[in-house]
Amino acid sequence: MAFDFPVLMVLIPAFPLAGAIVTAMFGKWLKHEAHWPVVVSIVCSAVLSLMLLSHVVHESENSEMAVGWETTIELWNWSGVPDALAAPERAIGLTETGVAIAPPARLPFSVDVTLRADALTAIMLAVVTFVASLVAIYAVGYMHGDRGYWRFFSYIGLFVFSMTMLVSVSNFVLLYVFWEAVGLCSYLLVGFWYEKPAAIAAGKKAFLVNRVGDFGFALGLFLIWITYGTLNYHDSGGIAGVLGQARLSQTAAFATGGTATAICLLLLLGACGKSAQFPLHVWLPDAMEGPTPVSALIHAATMVTAGVYMITRCTPLYMASVDAQYAVAIVGAITCGLGGVIALTQTDLKRVLAYSTISQLGYMFLGLGAATFASITAGMFHLLTHAFFKALLFLSAGSVMHAMGGIIDMRRFSGLRRIMPITHWTFLFGGLALAGVIPFAGFWSKDAILGAVNAKGQEVSLYIPLYWVGMITAFLTAIYTFRGFFLTFYGPTRVPHEAGEHAHESVRWMTIPLMILAFFALTSGAYFEWTGQLHHWLGMTPSLAYSAVPRPDVHGGEGDLIVKTISTAFALAGVGIAAYLYLGDNSAAALLARIFYPLYWLSYGKFFFDQIYNVLFVWPMWLLAQLSSVIDNYLIDGIVNLVGKVPPWVASRLRSLQAGMVQFYALAMVWGVVVLIITLLVWPALARSME
Amino acid sequence: MLLVTIFLPLAGALMICALSRDARAVQMTALATTVATLVLTVILLANYEPGTEPFAASSFAWLGESTNVDIHFSVALDGVSLWLFGLSSLLLVTCVLMSWESVSSRPGAYYALLLLLGTGMLGVFAARDIILFYIFFEFTLIPLFFLIGVWGHEERQYAAAKFFIYTLAGSMLTFLALISIVLWDYYHSPDGTMTFSIADLTTGLSQHPIAEPYQLWIFVGLFAGFAIKVPLFPLHTWLPLAHTQAPAAGSVLLAGVLLKIGMYGFLRFSVPMLPEATAACVPWMLGLAVAGIIYGALVALAQSDMKRLIAYSSVSHLGFCMLGLFALTSVGVEGGVLQMINHGISTGGLFAVVGMVYDRYHTREIRELSGLARVTPVLAFFFLLFTFSSIGLPGLNGFAGEFLILLGMFQRAWGDMAPTATLGHVYKAIAVLAVFGVVLGAWYMLWLVQRVFFGAPRESQHEHPSAAMRDLSPMEIAALAPLAILVFWIGLHPEFFLSRMRPALDPLTRSATQALADHQSGQTRAIAAENPSKRGDLLRVD
Repeated sequence: MAFDFPVLMVLIPAFPLAGAIVTAMFGKWLKHEAHWPVVVSIVCSAVLSLMLLSHVVHESENSEMAVGWETTIELWNWSGVPDALAAPERAIGLTETGVAIAPPARLPFSVDVTLRADALTAIMLAVVTFVASLVAIYAVGYMHGDRGYWRFFSYIGLFVFSMTMLVSVSNFVLLYVFWEAVGLCSYLLVGFWYEKPAAIAAGKKAFLVNRVGDFGFALGLFLIWITYGTLNYHDSGGIAGVLGQARLSQTAAFATGGTATAICLLLLLGACGKSAQFPLHVWLPDAMEGPTPVSALIHAATMVTAGVYMITRCTPLYMASVDAQYAVAIVGAITCGLGGVIALTQTDLKRVLAYSTISQLGYMFLGLGAATFASITAGMFHLLTHAFFKALLFLSAGSVMHAMGGIIDMRRFSGLRRIMPITHWTFLFGGLALAGVIPFAGFWSKDAILGAVNAKGQEVSLYIPLYWVGMITAFLTAIYTFRGFFLTFYGPTRVPHEAGEHAHESVRWMTIPLMILAFFALTSGAYFEWTGQLHHWLGMTPSLAYSAVPRPDVHGGEGDLIVKTISTAFALAGVGIAAYLYLGDNSAAALLARIFYPLYWLSYGKFFFDQIYNVLFVWPMWLLAQLSSVIDNYLIDGIVNLVGKVPPWVASRLRSLQAGMVQFYALAMVWGVVVLIITLLVWPALARSME
Repeated sequence: MLLVTIFLPLAGALMICALSRDARAVQMTALATTVATLVLTVILLANYEPGTEPFAASSFAWLGESTNVDIHFSVALDGVSLWLFGLSSLLLVTCVLMSWESVSSRPGAYYALLLLLGTGMLGVFAARDIILFYIFFEFTLIPLFFLIGVWGHEERQYAAAKFFIYTLAGSMLTFLALISIVLWDYYHSPDGTMTFSIADLTTGLSQHPIAEPYQLWIFVGLFAGFAIKVPLFPLHTWLPLAHTQAPAAGSVLLAGVLLKIGMYGFLRFSVPMLPEATAACVPWMLGLAVAGIIYGALVALAQSDMKRLIAYSSVSHLGFCMLGLFALTSVGVEGGVLQMINHGISTGGLFAVVGMVYDRYHTREIRELSGLARVTPVLAFFFLLFTFSSIGLPGLNGFAGEFLILLGMFQRAWGDMAPTATLGHVYKAIAVLAVFGVVLGAWYMLWLVQRVFFGAPRESQHEHPSAAMRDLSPMEIAALAPLAILVFWIGLHPEFFLSRMRPALDPLTRSATQALADHQSGQTRAIAAENPSKRGDLLRVD
């Protein structure tokens, strides 16, 4: 191998980490220049990631397509408890004659800090670092003058480090480690303005809801360990990792049935937490309390897609359980529709986008749940385009917020296209991509998912209704996106008083990243659709290789064209309805809200998930805590104190014995001797009988 | 070398008594002594090689040389005590540094007692003779009793008395149990000497194990002292009180080291010497441990006093340690012992920081504090770090321990050692509940952080800017920094610590693990004989 993979794989996460540490140590002195270490290091790691991608693709194309290509490097051993688990016989590798089976053995609990490179990882790395670079540059303008300027960039560096590690580790324990590490960064960044009670409460909520998801994730890990006897993904360290074994098990009939389903469902719970899927989606809208670049980077483009990445990575596990596939698809469809409906009525532009993110992530889950090669790659395709256009939308919204003096409620401003022409155009590009209008990026990727789900629906009828949920949500998406667009940029020009007299277009630090992202929001979909590169690359990932995933031929059929036609019609209709309702006066929209009041009420109240969870979980737990506290103070400690009163009480009784009566003492002495003698006589006999 | 390390703090204490007039000299002596102790400890630890047990042993006849009663003054280290010994040394330095500015009344007596406590702690973990162990075990009580009673807060005398009497009452029973172990060995060993050596007893009892009904009674006796010390639910109520009332350094040592003695006792005596009783009690111990985890977390959620909250979090965390130990799987035991160290670091650190908050604001009430992150960012950083370490954030130390413990418990419930059906369900419920405890742990700690460190600073805190606005002094940072380094070190490379304790752990738990396996397979056989059709269900790992 002419090319040094290990160095590259280490450097990609190491750069942002170094940037974060330097900023943390010297930030106080760097003051307004504190962004340089982090921005430069993230850009470096983006360049390296693109290099890595090209080399991985190169290597992969020279390898056997049936098994895919990967490389790993081991850095150090995190723990290696020998002799930890008695494992039954298990599949460990492919030989020429079939699957090699290892005899039963006692396996060590060994967790290696191992990085991996394969197509999936390389693509994720490229997306993450590329978007992160643009967001970091944007943040230079956006965060300018903030008290915690260096703190912000330090956290961003830490986040990019964690996220790049998350997608490049090769072990479930380490996946979990960085899974929580990105959660920590999210906690710190959502609560960045920690003097705002809402911000810090939102950060805590995000962390705790994610903990609930991680509860499932952790249980899943333990079950994987007990089932497979390893927590490594693939073939590092001599024995086949979890995914390798699961992949091989299709021929060797290994982990199936209830165990396989349980593992997948528990992992799904973890993914639901991180990717804000129903029923754990409640934290994401609140997380909008953080600075807008954070919303763009963490809560739209990268961290929330970790769940999608994880399920894609675990494709071999999900292949073993059809029930789990249904569960993923159903969760995806519910979330997709729910997010779309709620986004229709929110008045806070960033929350509209947050619910839209939830909804779009739902599409990705729907694609993964359909579990064909076409649908999984379509999910990843949507992940990629979504990263571009959603980051673009958030950053544009941030640009608006910046100009409006921190106000993002759409009832407070309108007609901004005259004040902020560039932001207007970039938001429009993002909106068209999100709404799925041809030829923008979202059109291609969303239709790829819908087409694949539709094709799967021809085999399994369960997917037909899910397909229609997705289709109708596409219609809703167009409406809410352009509702936000028209309310913000059209109508009479109004600015809130917080913006002051001089509301203006944002600085170049901010507008240039916007324009770059707008370019990708326009082109990335069509490019990958026409070249087919993404599917080709993903197909070379071991987890998604030919032997791992069924590939019914669905592409380019008649069904696909129908899907594209319907969705185009829906998208255009949505844009048209939004234009009709929200251009000009909003009386028609108000009338609709009155006609469909119950629905409007539910949507506006976000289906009252927060309130329901409070009543069902938070308050009972809280009451239980108070009750336990009372029990502790009065019952348990009361018993202790009662026991403590026994010796004084006994003593007070005994005191009367020592009244100085000599006759009593003599009597007691006699009795004592009698008891002693009896004991001496009886004890040996007793002891003998007990032997 | 080991002897010198143990008695250096005692020498320092004597020296302080000699020159107790000059507060400055007292402080310097205390600091010099503890730092020297730490240096010696680090040299000891650095020279340790896994598997060379006992390490740094020195032993001489002490009592009853002429008779057949063999009591040695015998100290040594092994994998189990190694890190606890190191932790004690380290926290001692932390305590001296953090008391630097906060303790002004009678510094001579204060530092002398602190150092005395240090000798006691180091001795407990090094002792290799039951009598010596017991002496050090009880010896730790006395200095702490005075530290709480004299330098404590408003209810200090009640707290000191309760702490003293409660733990002493338990350890009386423990002493009886220890003596019975010695006597059993004496009556059954061929050479006719009454040995008090822990190693000899362990090997002796593996050759002629104590009869099972006695084992159970002795186990209960040991349990009385050790479980109170741990403290295991429901014997924990002395702890919140003692913690709340103790001076900050007392809390640090109490949480960081003294609680560990209980679990150390289980590991050193109960498990290896009473394997059958241990096996029989495993379900009960696991049940109590998980009850402590959940209950401690719930009660912590309801507290309004920072120190009380952290004290209850200790109950929860020690529940994790016990869970790992009594899961009796190699992963679980290693995790449990590692978690003891972790708890010492993170909870010790938390108490230290809370003490520093108290020095500045003279309150422990959560609702009287707000926005400390703005006023004292460095202090807030350390608190946040120890908080995340304590709630088991991956990459920090708490995670390494918790993860191994839970994994070990899972293996107990689902793995190759799955017991009878009913018990299996109980174990599974325990395992899942324990994982849920991790969620609760994040809740109460983050809520504490939210209320105390975030939000806007209180108006009243600005009234005394000179006192309130002061961030950590270099002394205080020096006190916390080593702990912070360990938080990362253990989190990133736990194998370094695990590999050094592993060789010692395995022999200690082997017989109990074996007994448990026999126990369970016996039950399985019995049920299978009763109901042959069920056998398949029991053995399937599904």
